Amino acid sequence: MKIRASQNRASGRIKSICTFMSLASLLALPVGTALADSKDGTFPTAEQVGGQVYIDPVAVGKKLPLDFEAYGMNGEKADLASVVQGKRSMVVFFISAVPVSVNELVKIENFTSKYGNGINVVFVNADTVGSALMGGPKAVIPNSVKTMHTIKKEQSLKTSSIFVAPNDALSADGVSTRLGIRGLPTSFVVDAKGVIEKVFVGPQNWKKGDI
Amino acid sequence: MSINRRQFMQGAFAAGVAGTAGMLGAGKAFSAVHNPVGEAQAELFGKFKGNIVLLPSKYGGYVQAMDLSVPETLAWYNYGLHGIDMPIPHHIAAMPSADPYKGFDFYQTMQPPASPYVNENSPEWRNRGDFKMFKMRYDGSGKQNSISVVNDIGVTTGMSLGVHVSIGVGENANKYVAFADGQKDMVLITDISDNPKIVKAFRADYDPIARQLNISHVFPDATTGKFDYVGRKGMKTTHEAMLGEELMPADPTAVFVDAFTWHPTLPFGAILIRRLGCCAIVDTRTWEVVALLSTAKGSPDNFPMVKQTGFTWTFAVPSVLTPLHEAGFITSGEYFVACNNVLQNNIAVYRSTDENPNKWKKETFVEGFGTKYLPLHMGNVPDSRFVYFTMWARKPNNGYICKVDTKTWQVVAKWDTGPDPHTCDCTVDGKYMTTVYSGHQAGQSGLVVINVATDKIEARLPCPGGMHDHVVVPESWEGMKVSRSTSV
Repeated sequence: MKIRASQNRASGRIKSICTFMSLASLLALPVGTALADSKDGTFPTAEQVGGQVYIDPVAVGKKLPLDFEAYGMNGEKADLASVVQGKRSMVVFFISAVPVSVNELVKIENFTSKYGNGINVVFVNADTVGSALMGGPKAVIPNSVKTMHTIKKEQSLKTSSIFVAPNDALSADGVSTRLGIRGLPTSFVVDAKGVIEKVFVGPQNWKKGDI
Repeated sequence: MSINRRQFMQGAFAAGVAGTAGMLGAGKAFSAVHNPVGEAQAELFGKFKGNIVLLPSKYGGYVQAMDLSVPETLAWYNYGLHGIDMPIPHHIAAMPSADPYKGFDFYQTMQPPASPYVNENSPEWRNRGDFKMFKMRYDGSGKQNSISVVNDIGVTTGMSLGVHVSIGVGENANKYVAFADGQKDMVLITDISDNPKIVKAFRADYDPIARQLNISHVFPDATTGKFDYVGRKGMKTTHEAMLGEELMPADPTAVFVDAFTWHPTLPFGAILIRRLGCCAIVDTRTWEVVALLSTAKGSPDNFPMVKQTGFTWTFAVPSVLTPLHEAGFITSGEYFVACNNVLQNNIAVYRSTDENPNKWKKETFVEGFGTKYLPLHMGNVPDSRFVYFTMWARKPNNGYICKVDTKTWQVVAKWDTGPDPHTCDCTVDGKYMTTVYSGHQAGQSGLVVINVATDKIEARLPCPGGMHDHVVVPESWEGMKVSRSTSV
């Protein structure tokens, strides 16, 4: 199913109003409100994670936040902001557990190599893999990185610009909440200053001129 | 004089049938049912006579039939015997039987082991286990009880689903069984024969840009008569979403269909759609989708259908204030209750007596559960006086079971039965509520029996199963209305 986000997010639709209100509310939480991902097992309220289940991606014209924890294919911490700095880039968020998003990676790689005019493509797995049975919490990042190598090999990806970004979907500070990611993959095209030019949600029938 | 089972089995013929049979009661000389007379626990458990409990062990890979009145496991079956590498028995529903000790049928679903709970989608696990639906048979008619596979329904129909199974009642009694799955967002209805025939199948897909839900009939291949959704085919995600994962990024079309529950008196069923906080009401005379209930507090009672194109019904879903998990009808059918959770932890109560489901209205909510306890499962009693709910919680909290008064819709009792509580199902006489807890697939787990009238915990049994479901075998089609039919 092809799903394409419009370039102009500032519509009068309910979702835009909810997004605005929810982002504003994140900046002013009521006193004493517990955030999710707390050690006491709290779940978030709607206000804490964008207002509802389906929140919008960060809007066109905004700078894409990239100041979250990330790891490269070598298992070392990576600074995604510096990876895109000064380059027009396409930052693609996917999850290894979602087949449609994994299958889209090679399509994006092929499309951008042909029609991307040298755009810098960055793949980010917004999830972690393999902890409980595979060595405990310390194994999370190494196992997730190992999964990325598996995906690169199985999908015949040429790029090594694949990162792991641990995500807590129940947290206001989680990657998916901050970036407004619900459908996968979510691909942000950003200019050399990191400002969002276009947003694509879901698999696409990529064609020349799309980016 | 004490006599153990081995002595009985060896001596029954030599000693003379009549004399030995007298110890067990008439008609039971040759059935492998233990009479605990004289044993220390006999008086405590004797009041549960007539109740056989099916307990599927998720990561243990087996199902057992337990005689609660002894207590004793009557028989058990490891699904690895069917050739499945790492079987994960998930949900279960039992057909009614006038004498369950002699025999009964049941349905078992299975899903692959990939789970953030345990192994968090490691590639090493992605080819292990499978999606399965089995029709099973317990046979207690001989000298050795047994459980066996009657039909591998996924192979028979070409569609393998791994979440809830529920058996039709009321207008749909003795006709249908429904299977659902949230990794494939599909529902399959078959008949209840030993070689099941496809009745109807549904698929749900969301368009997050248009903010519309499409529910479609799915048809088998005309030449084979089967679907092409065996095994992992058709899955949108590699694992069933845990509670809270409705907020995780996912396939854009994913809605996490969870179950199909049957109205006890009217010709309707409900497709439970977790990620959208909605329940699609299906007219079981035509299998058309006639309404989409929106269960969140602050949302309308239902979302409008915007169009029907052939066998696809499209509803506008402009916003989703909370996911839901389980939902179903109370025994009388007077109310439809839905467990909203994650972003709103409450239970929506709809009056469900109108023959037009678009007129079903939310009358109240059961609330006050805070942000740590999520309404999850429900369990009915025969007179609909109460409904039991499971309040699930993440570690380090245990969660609990609560009893809700259906006149006031207030919580009137609660029990911390143990970590990771799951389903509730009452005994055949309606006097006791059984409930399981599964220790997050590793820790404390067991079966608890609560007295409905006094709220006392009457019994606790160990069960190293990590059960996410269980069922007491009903005695009749009327008894099915409190079982895995109207509620899950």
